[in-house]
Amino acid sequence: MNLQSLREEFVLNFIEDNRWQYLTRGLATTLKITLFAAIIGIVLGFLVAIVRTTHENTGKAKIANAICGLYLTIIRGTPVLVQLLILYFVIFASVRIDKTLTAIIAFGINSGAYQAEIFRSGIQSVPRGQLEAGRSLGFSYKQTIWTVIMPQAIRNVIPALCNEFIALMKETSIAGYIALEDLTKGGDIIRSRTYSAFMPYIAVALIYLVLVLILTRVEKSIERRLKKSER
Amino acid sequence: MNDNMPLISVKNLCKEFDGKRVLNDISVDIYKGDVVCVLGPSGSGKSTFLRCLNRLEEPTGGHILFEGTDICDPSTNINIHRQKMGMVFQQFNLFPHMTIMKNLTIAPMKLQNVPESEARSYALELLNKVGLADRADDYPSQLSGGQQQRIAIVRALCMKPDVMLFDEPTSALDPEMVGEVLGVMKNLAKDDMTMVVVTHEMGFAREVASRVMFLDGGDFIEENTPDKFFTNPQNDRLKSFLSKVL
Repeated sequence: MNLQSLREEFVLNFIEDNRWQYLTRGLATTLKITLFAAIIGIVLGFLVAIVRTTHENTGKAKIANAICGLYLTIIRGTPVLVQLLILYFVIFASVRIDKTLTAIIAFGINSGAYQAEIFRSGIQSVPRGQLEAGRSLGFSYKQTIWTVIMPQAIRNVIPALCNEFIALMKETSIAGYIALEDLTKGGDIIRSRTYSAFMPYIAVALIYLVLVLILTRVEKSIERRLKKSER
Repeated sequence: MNDNMPLISVKNLCKEFDGKRVLNDISVDIYKGDVVCVLGPSGSGKSTFLRCLNRLEEPTGGHILFEGTDICDPSTNINIHRQKMGMVFQQFNLFPHMTIMKNLTIAPMKLQNVPESEARSYALELLNKVGLADRADDYPSQLSGGQQQRIAIVRALCMKPDVMLFDEPTSALDPEMVGEVLGVMKNLAKDDMTMVVVTHEMGFAREVASRVMFLDGGDFIEENTPDKFFTNPQNDRLKSFLSKVL
């Protein structure tokens, strides 16, 4: 491939008919799904982790704990793509809701299961003596969890959590299965129009790579800041 | 509450772990101003006994009256009573994500609604007494073990407790740091603090305790004044214990 043909390929794939817009629009969709799914995942994961550790520590919340256990088993036991397809074609079959919203819900519920285990390991990584010290001062179980355990637990899980966000962002690339035009699908559409695969897919890959690099940077700076406050 | 009433009255306390009896029907009264040292071989249930007093360990039987209230009654709000029972742990258990000052003030401010300025000045006053006022803005990890344990004692004192429970407070310390912690405890005893101390420090028990109790096999098998306890032990098991540790 010489320089001339590279240039022609580039023009064909990105400039003609404003095809670059498939990538930018796809990128926007990918970011939207990732962001909101991550938020749903944080909320779900946090709640599930609280229920599970409360059950482990006190024996309370039996039923809630069983429900959480079932949730983790199902979500971690089946592929996220299958979950997405079931949600779109089975659960939401009769109510045609927005595809992006479907994807956000599917990826959010999926990520929640993994984040739950991350948060739980974080809470468990705080020595039991911390809970006892809090309780011995007169703090209730809840107060101790919030003022003593959680701040330490969250600090411990930042690397694993960022890892999960990176994985989540890349996993959203299967959203094309429900004909959602995310970044990957955008590249795919260009290929189907131009019959040239190299440029669109490499461009898509590079954009994911840049996004991951940015996320990694953010993670490092958060970690550095937390370290400073603890010295 | 009248003065003759025990501050803590333990009645028929039992504790089992998975069917194994650790505390066997213990009854003991602790009065205001008592400095009770609990001695005994490892595995005798000393720590379990202490941790039952503020229900960090749930007793499986019996009652504990603290200032006249049965704290084993399920309707009792244990959190209220724990505020009056300071506890010091073997592993210090300071909160590593908070400065020393925050460690000392968070409980009084959140639980007793003490204004921040008041909580800080009281904490500083106590820090001065233990010689660590200059470390108020440091984090626990910047302090030595002995310093951390002194801070842990101050943290419990900031709640103005009526009794202090010590669970082997010097066992995790380097030998050269034991003295500074025992020194703080001696001063506390001098200020008439009621203390229950689980310890292996025979010297401390002998010098500071008002009562020494020997726990073995889940029961107190001998109690005496420190003098008689160490010079004229009655029980054979205590005699053999003392011959090994003294």
